Amino acid sequence: MSKGEVRYGMVIDLRRCVGCHACSVACKSENDVPLGVFRSWVKQVEKGSYPNVRKHFLPSLCNHCEKPICVRNCPTTASYRREDGVVLIDYDKCIGCGYCIASCPYQVRFINPLRGTAEKCTFCQHRIDNGVVPSCVNTCNGRARVFGDLNDPNSEIAKLIATQPVQVLKADSGTEPRVYYINPDAGAMKGGYGPDSKVHLERGRNWSLSTTEKGRE
Amino acid sequence: MDATVVYNIPHQQGLQVFIAIYFYLTGLSAGSFVISVVAYLLGKTEYKPLGKIGAFLAPILLVIAPILLITDLGKPMRFFYLFFNVNPTSPLTWGTFLLTIYPISCLIYLYYVLKGNQKMIKTFGIIGIPLAISVHGYTGFVLALAKFSPIWNNSLMPLLWLISAMVSGIGLVIFVAIVMEKVFSVSLAKFAGEMSTETSTGKMLAETAASSTGVMPLNEMLGGVGKYLAGFIIFDLFLVFSEILVLLTESEEAAALAASLLTGDYSFLFLGLEILLGALIPLFLLLHPRTSRSLAAQTVAAVLVLIGVMTMRYIVIIGGQSVPFN
Ligand code: SF4
Ligand code: SF4
Ligand code: SF4
Repeated sequence: MSKGEVRYGMVIDLRRCVGCHACSVACKSENDVPLGVFRSWVKQVEKGSYPNVRKHFLPSLCNHCEKPICVRNCPTTASYRREDGVVLIDYDKCIGCGYCIASCPYQVRFINPLRGTAEKCTFCQHRIDNGVVPSCVNTCNGRARVFGDLNDPNSEIAKLIATQPVQVLKADSGTEPRVYYINPDAGAMKGGYGPDSKVHLERGRNWSLSTTEKGRE
Repeated sequence: MDATVVYNIPHQQGLQVFIAIYFYLTGLSAGSFVISVVAYLLGKTEYKPLGKIGAFLAPILLVIAPILLITDLGKPMRFFYLFFNVNPTSPLTWGTFLLTIYPISCLIYLYYVLKGNQKMIKTFGIIGIPLAISVHGYTGFVLALAKFSPIWNNSLMPLLWLISAMVSGIGLVIFVAIVMEKVFSVSLAKFAGEMSTETSTGKMLAETAASSTGVMPLNEMLGGVGKYLAGFIIFDLFLVFSEILVLLTESEEAAALAASLLTGDYSFLFLGLEILLGALIPLFLLLHPRTSRSLAAQTVAAVLVLIGVMTMRYIVIIGGQSVPFN
């Protein structure tokens, strides 16, 4: 199958997610994500009252949207979408204006405090280009994360989407996300923070590192 | 059944406070430019001193503004990439070129204002008005096309941004006029005329300007401008009212934001500073027959609208991120 016909996506099957945060950890270590910022994280909500209590999880990452508003709004064309649907950032072109952070409806982007440029999940492009699944998929002990080619009818992901009811986050955002969820909880899909956290943080900045290339490139 | 969030990560702000100040400065610049051109083009010679003040303010503010933008970048040294890697669908790209052309056209305009060349003032005024509107209008689109916060991502934003720019622009011109005349004892009539007498073409105009401004005391002149200011404040209030009313019903997050402005963390800034001090009190001072011609009241009104519009920018940018969206 030629490259142009491949369309990568991910299914997160929440019937299988145990909320262990292993994907967040694997992503951090695989991609050297600095302290305080995350390419992938697992939101947790609690419902009910004792003894009928239940926790629900929502692992989040960039949705590698079909119509990525981040790419549309990036003034330097540093954000781009590959033919196979992977949305990436060229760290050599990015000026760190942060407008993509303001544009994305999913808040999956951040300015890397060491490098000064925007960053987010890359679908582990360095791994998938070499035929291995992304790190978070590889590490998931419940096999809740399934990565693959949405256009290949024989792939596990295409079969899951064909046979299971799936959802995307904020479907009304108009960006056509390509990360699908099976069995997500409505309360987890809404905006919300734990009791003690600040709402939106100022971007950390390390001036000496941000203007030179000492950060990890 | 309600779900309680027990764990989530904090996210970075989409736009930071420097951007709010930058939006304020471009608004001031665009506003003062439009007033300057209107004062010159409508042929109302008595408003000429204000036209000249506006012509000075517009380029000065627009030189400071981009410095804020560049320092806000994660990679400030790379700002020039904006000119070489162009993305026509991005409002920031539009802004890059507007922010380059507009200050130049402002300076040319100022040059002819100083020369007193009425024909060229008119030409560059007419070229400059759409540029001034675009240079501030694009910042409205920067917000309207960003999906981070529902208070930004709506079609009212560009218009609201433009009208509040006019409010702050007129406020600033009034304030500067009073400071010049009362604090630095510059005679505004002479200020409007002095440069133009140097050239023979401007001589006649300058004389008519000087004679007609001479008969119009400052408070009378500002009282007239104050009426326009009041009109823009009313328009602005209406837009803010529509915005809040729609936010309340738009989505859960939007309603939470509206609640944060009306009764929550930002209610003091919004209701107290922006609406009461920044709009209603100046409106009263500008329209009430006993205060509308008093210089003291005009000074207070001008300072209050300046504070009010800055607060409004702050509330939209920073307050617009005061509830969780993810
Ligand atoms: S989720 Fe956000 S960052 Fe990722 S492609 Fe979509 S709009 Fe862009
Ligand atoms: S921060 Fe970088 S990737 Fe994001 S919009 Fe600005 S230049 Fe583009
Ligand atoms: S695909 Fe890679 S970069 Fe994206 S969340 Fe998973 S581990 Fe992180």
